[in-house]
Amino acid sequence: MKLTGSMEYDSSAEMMFGTACRPVKTRSGLVIGSGHVIPEVISHPRPGTERTLHDLLREFERISDDTLERCVQVGHPSVVIENEHVFQMTQNPRWGGDIAAQTAGQLEEYRQKYGLACAYRATIADIRKPDLVDMRRSDRTDAILESFEVCAPHADIISVESLGGKEISDYSLIRNDITGMLFAQAILGGRDMEWLWPQIVAIAKKHGCLAGGDTNCSQANVAMFMAGGFLSNEIPHTMAALCRAIGATKTLIAYECGATGPGKDCAYENPIIKAITGIPISTEGKSSACAHMSLCGNVMAAVCDLWANEAVEYHWMFGGSSSAVFAEILGYDAAAMNTALELGYQKEFQACLIYSDRYRSPQSYILCPDTAFEIGKAIVENNESYYSRAKAAAIRCGELLQNDTKLFFTAFEKDSLNGYMRDLRNLPDTEEEFIELCLDRYARVRGFSPASYDL
Amino acid sequence: MTHPPTSSEIFTRYDIRAEITRQKVRRVSEDTILQSVADCLVSGDDTEILVVIGKALQKREPLEIINKGLIPAMKEMGRLYDEGIIFLPQIILSSDAMVAGISLCEEKMGQSIEKKARVVTHTAEGDIHDIGQVIVNALLNAAGFEVINLGADVPVDDVVEACRLYKPIMLSGTALMTTTMTAFPRIAQKMVEQGIIIPFVCGGGAVSEAFVTGYDLGIWGKEAGWAPLIAEDILFGMDWKEIRTKWNR
Repeated sequence: MKLTGSMEYDSSAEMMFGTACRPVKTRSGLVIGSGHVIPEVISHPRPGTERTLHDLLREFERISDDTLERCVQVGHPSVVIENEHVFQMTQNPRWGGDIAAQTAGQLEEYRQKYGLACAYRATIADIRKPDLVDMRRSDRTDAILESFEVCAPHADIISVESLGGKEISDYSLIRNDITGMLFAQAILGGRDMEWLWPQIVAIAKKHGCLAGGDTNCSQANVAMFMAGGFLSNEIPHTMAALCRAIGATKTLIAYECGATGPGKDCAYENPIIKAITGIPISTEGKSSACAHMSLCGNVMAAVCDLWANEAVEYHWMFGGSSSAVFAEILGYDAAAMNTALELGYQKEFQACLIYSDRYRSPQSYILCPDTAFEIGKAIVENNESYYSRAKAAAIRCGELLQNDTKLFFTAFEKDSLNGYMRDLRNLPDTEEEFIELCLDRYARVRGFSPASYDL
Repeated sequence: MTHPPTSSEIFTRYDIRAEITRQKVRRVSEDTILQSVADCLVSGDDTEILVVIGKALQKREPLEIINKGLIPAMKEMGRLYDEGIIFLPQIILSSDAMVAGISLCEEKMGQSIEKKARVVTHTAEGDIHDIGQVIVNALLNAAGFEVINLGADVPVDDVVEACRLYKPIMLSGTALMTTTMTAFPRIAQKMVEQGIIIPFVCGGGAVSEAFVTGYDLGIWGKEAGWAPLIAEDILFGMDWKEIRTKWNR
């Protein structure tokens, strides 16, 4: 596969929320990335409802209806609803298909009745745990592909959060091992993406929906989650930042295989992806505090096209159900950004989003449009292999962190960053040598099967 | 923008402000040979420790190396971690080094050393996110417990059967998703029905205290670091109700 060798944007100054170089149109007519930000609402069913299809159908019916109704009640012009599959919905593909059909029907009703512009994203659960099954040949693999087949006829957008390389990234992350993270994300994750995504794109084309894209949630978001906030002592924020830069090279493969976007919301690497590909992206920040903490609350909105909330469990709040409440919040956020666009204040608004977080943490720093653009450039300028571009992304990310004197680190984070840079610069030149080194080094990691990656 | 705002009213880096001065690891032995073993464990090098212990075994007994070198050094790492001075990877790497070191000593002795007690760990049925469990395993190992690791996505009946078979002092369960943590009360109910009355420490992701304390045996584990401390409480003689009273509201 030919790896991307150029940037879609000429500079980060051109990147703005609500507009993308390559806007997309859903089959139901919603255009994403053509000048306005659209809220994307994601709700999670309550525990216990996963036990039967009947209960899940009822739960998702409430979720979608509450979301759509609130959009109409407060006057939001457009919305995307995403259903992230719980395990049971993918393990039993019929369940996911029935829920997709039901959700699409509800959206159509609101389109017809109120003229609400809306679209539906179905995100299939990757239930292939690398140390439990062969990633390419297992019942779980079959269930995933079947789930795409049964959801694609109803969904406007299909996505996944793929798990390739997770057995090695989980092992390496808690050992502060950047070499292992590079191997897990770029090589193992990359090879899995290259195998999986052409199949998803083919299914999307067959059924006339958009192949939305993937996310490095299972690796870079685990790093972000573990790095936590200012009181955490799990892993350094500098490790999480480098994992994000490396993770972008894995997520990029979906688009190199033909996905068109909009990118998946929990892909915090999406600003880098947008800079390279020009596709519209979904992002989340402060709005995802319902699901996890982050240090990127505002900056993540700086170049978004869909503005999302990761996942909120469905339950009742003073202001209605959580689905309704988050639809209202996200829609108002989008309205503020859209107003800035219409008034011509978008640059000023964007600057506020960026600078409120720029120096908050290493992670927020590298996701500002200018730094994300620089990492993107390192990726496309070193496109000889998955390895070369991922290593270049990590090194460029580390240099950006080291060279800005306004960014502060704890001693452990600084020492760790210096160690990662030393390790990265001492790695072999070619992908073949790197794979050989890693197959030897990680051979005894529990459950690691090179055959899952055709190695 | 040429002058980015730097006001502390925008955000405060509490981590920088509160950073604890790096402390040196305390010596654990006056014996230079045993201290060299301890130093290697602290550095977390699971390859080098085999060399260091190999040399130490020429002049010291294997049990002495374990009890006066490896275990006290691991305890010191645990103290530094609990006090927020070192980070998780440092203790995980030391744990790896300790496991490697003990294996070498056991090989020399021709038998395994006795562990404090046995603990069964698992990740809930339907849940494949097991990094929390991996951390719990490492911390329990480091504290001297034998860990029966059932892995991820373990059916309810398999967990109960493992507890019947291995007779652990404690069961731990982790789950990221609220839609998989529902396996925990089903496990607890079956354990009670079969008369397996041991503390069942549950934690991870969206697992809440209110949920876990809603069924018998359940103890909510806020952090992985609680697992060995709760296991010590069990050895001290506390039952699940006393432990819940101590650790949960």
